[in-house]
Amino acid sequence: MNLAATLVLDVTAAGFVALALAIAYRWYRDRGHAQGLLAISLIALGIVAALGRFQDQTHPNVVLSLVTIVAFIASAYLVLLFGNEFIPLGRRVRLAADVLLGVSILSSIVLVTVFQRGPQPVMTALGFEIVGAWAILIGLPIVRFWLASNSLPSVPKARLRFLSFGFAVLIAILVVDVVGGSALQSPGAIIITQLLALATVPLIYVSFAPPAILRRIWRMSEEKNVRAAMQDLLIFSPTRELMAERAVYWAVRLMGATAGFIVDADGKVMATSGIDAVEAAELRSSAGANPTGAAGSIVKAPLHLTEGEGSLAIIAGRFTPVFGTDEITQLNAYAVSVSAGLQRAAVTERMTALEKGKTQFLNLASHELRAPLTVIRGYVSMLKNGLFGDLNDRGHKASDVMEAKVSEMNELIEEMMDAARVEEGGLTLRLIECDLRDIVREAVDAASPQLDASHRIALDLPDRRIRVKVDPDRTRTIVTNLLTNALKYSPAGGEVRCQVRSSRSGVARVSVSDEGLGIARDDMATLFTRFGRIITPETEHLRGTGLVLFLSRQLARLQGGEIAVVSTPGAGSTFTLQLPVAGVAGPPLGTDRDGEWTTPHEDAVGDQRSAPMRR
Amino acid sequence: MNLLDDWTASWLLWFPGSVSTFGAGQHDPAVLPFRLDAGRRAAVHVLLIEDDPSIADMYRMQLEHDGYRVSVASTGEVGFASVSGDGPDIVLLDLLLPDRSGFEVLRQINERLPGHPPVVILSNYGEPSMLDRGRSLGAVEYLVKSRVTPADVSGLIPSWIEQSRTEEHEDS
Repeated sequence: MNLAATLVLDVTAAGFVALALAIAYRWYRDRGHAQGLLAISLIALGIVAALGRFQDQTHPNVVLSLVTIVAFIASAYLVLLFGNEFIPLGRRVRLAADVLLGVSILSSIVLVTVFQRGPQPVMTALGFEIVGAWAILIGLPIVRFWLASNSLPSVPKARLRFLSFGFAVLIAILVVDVVGGSALQSPGAIIITQLLALATVPLIYVSFAPPAILRRIWRMSEEKNVRAAMQDLLIFSPTRELMAERAVYWAVRLMGATAGFIVDADGKVMATSGIDAVEAAELRSSAGANPTGAAGSIVKAPLHLTEGEGSLAIIAGRFTPVFGTDEITQLNAYAVSVSAGLQRAAVTERMTALEKGKTQFLNLASHELRAPLTVIRGYVSMLKNGLFGDLNDRGHKASDVMEAKVSEMNELIEEMMDAARVEEGGLTLRLIECDLRDIVREAVDAASPQLDASHRIALDLPDRRIRVKVDPDRTRTIVTNLLTNALKYSPAGGEVRCQVRSSRSGVARVSVSDEGLGIARDDMATLFTRFGRIITPETEHLRGTGLVLFLSRQLARLQGGEIAVVSTPGAGSTFTLQLPVAGVAGPPLGTDRDGEWTTPHEDAVGDQRSAPMRR
Repeated sequence: MNLLDDWTASWLLWFPGSVSTFGAGQHDPAVLPFRLDAGRRAAVHVLLIEDDPSIADMYRMQLEHDGYRVSVASTGEVGFASVSGDGPDIVLLDLLLPDRSGFEVLRQINERLPGHPPVVILSNYGEPSMLDRGRSLGAVEYLVKSRVTPADVSGLIPSWIEQSRTEEHEDS
């Protein structure tokens, strides 16, 4: 044997001893961890490597030989036991492994005690038996690790693969060595096999204690998925529970943990992954300690919720790395996003419930109000018609007022029901092609009863008909609303101008202008919101639900139209209803709904400044 | 001659939207409620299927004042029995009844009593889907109670009867 081969043999042995020492040290530091069996196995392997170099090849020491061979077999058996820890073996397989261990130890004793004195074939057979047993005892768990790794998150997957691969190379070397026999005793062959064996040292070490950089690299493939899932997680999770379930699933995957759970601010376990809620509840209060008895560790990251502090915890399993600062930092960053997501889900849930409740209330209230109102309205009209005898003048006056108030109330109820329906999306329209001028005429008729001596409606219609495809009843309601509003908010009287025009681009416009109070710039934003009444000293005596404009705009939009407003405080306002002209493929009306919408110049009245309007 | 036999199952539909001409003065209530055919002045018989007594009483008061003969059924079952047994000239049908919906009553009337009198739905529900359902079941009219007064309804009864008769004549 030349010097180079000896040197390589020494270096390889030293490599395995170093591996054993490093692993012994790590194991000493994290004794709670479940990798003791693997650590002892690797230490045993280091002993084999070291003793092999101290053995005198020509006159072997019997005790040394025995220790070497037993350590060698034990290293394989311990790997098997380690595998058994998290992928339990069948009872028969376990028994067979035990028998194999016993036979091998017996063989080694025989081999050592009768060494060089027994017949050569027997010795060779015993040698084969020992190496075969070693290969089987190690081969079984590493094949199982490899198969199991497929379903694992990327970190444990990579670690199991490194371990499997490292041991597989060792098996291959041993088998080739034994089968090749003296043919492979040339210095060159020794150098190659020893270098290969040396190469497994970092592989095995990395699988046992992966450095942070490697863990981060392994996690990268997982992070890509997490990022994709994160958007889904934070934006589309409809409920907190679902959001928590997903968050804990991804936390476990990302960190390569075996289990995890999320605790709500009130201390309840909200979601778990890999363990059940009862176990999670037991683990809730303990942090860092090893609760299940099996090795592992818990890392908790706080979740800052409005109701208090919750936590996101991940649990290391038997073959997950002891979490380092890298994982803790990652988990904390992740927890911040999860907190935000949970907050958002909670707000959305609350909003949805409120919104639904409000709509339901509106609907119910309206229906329930209709029944008594029917009776009141009926009797008032009968009273007025003299069904119960003639009324005196004061009685007539009273019944007139009652009738007016009852129909006012009726209209409010109808508005409320329509508003509720618009929000539910339950409002259906009957679109018919008709002349916009007819609709406006009817609307003016409908608004006329509200005229008093100080008001006048000036109607300006074009000579040619304007064909629009709309729901005539709804459109008439919109125009009537705009007219009534104009009358209502010009208490000093004056002219309300109603102008109907169509543009060549296919937009029909009904603009209603008054000389009334006008609307302040700041109030524009609330003008079209539900219940968005603008209360000023001039208007506070006026009644209304604040639904009229909201509803009118919703109705306009449902028909492909829009309502816009320009106003000068103190000088009056112009509300313009735009509708698409039938049969003309005009431009979309307005702009997108969240954008800014400015009334076109042709609609601007006088010197009024055009007020940009935001929703 | 039984007038019931002369009715056919198809009616001219008249729905809100076209009802912009409400008003009791349109028809003379003193003359029209009386059937002049066969030489007898028998009061037109209105069957009101309505479970709310305050509404039923109110309608009875107005209709009897206008010269109609009124009977009230407070459940769907009694209502159906009255349609087949008493032979009313027109039925005013509520939708929310204690035992079944008015739509079911109307369907039952359609199935079992061909040539039944015109049915007008009077309900507190004004959803378009309900109107459509009423229309498809052959109601002559669908009115939302809170939008009309008993006088409006009373004034329209002769035209509903007239309408279904015209339909019948056009058919035969």
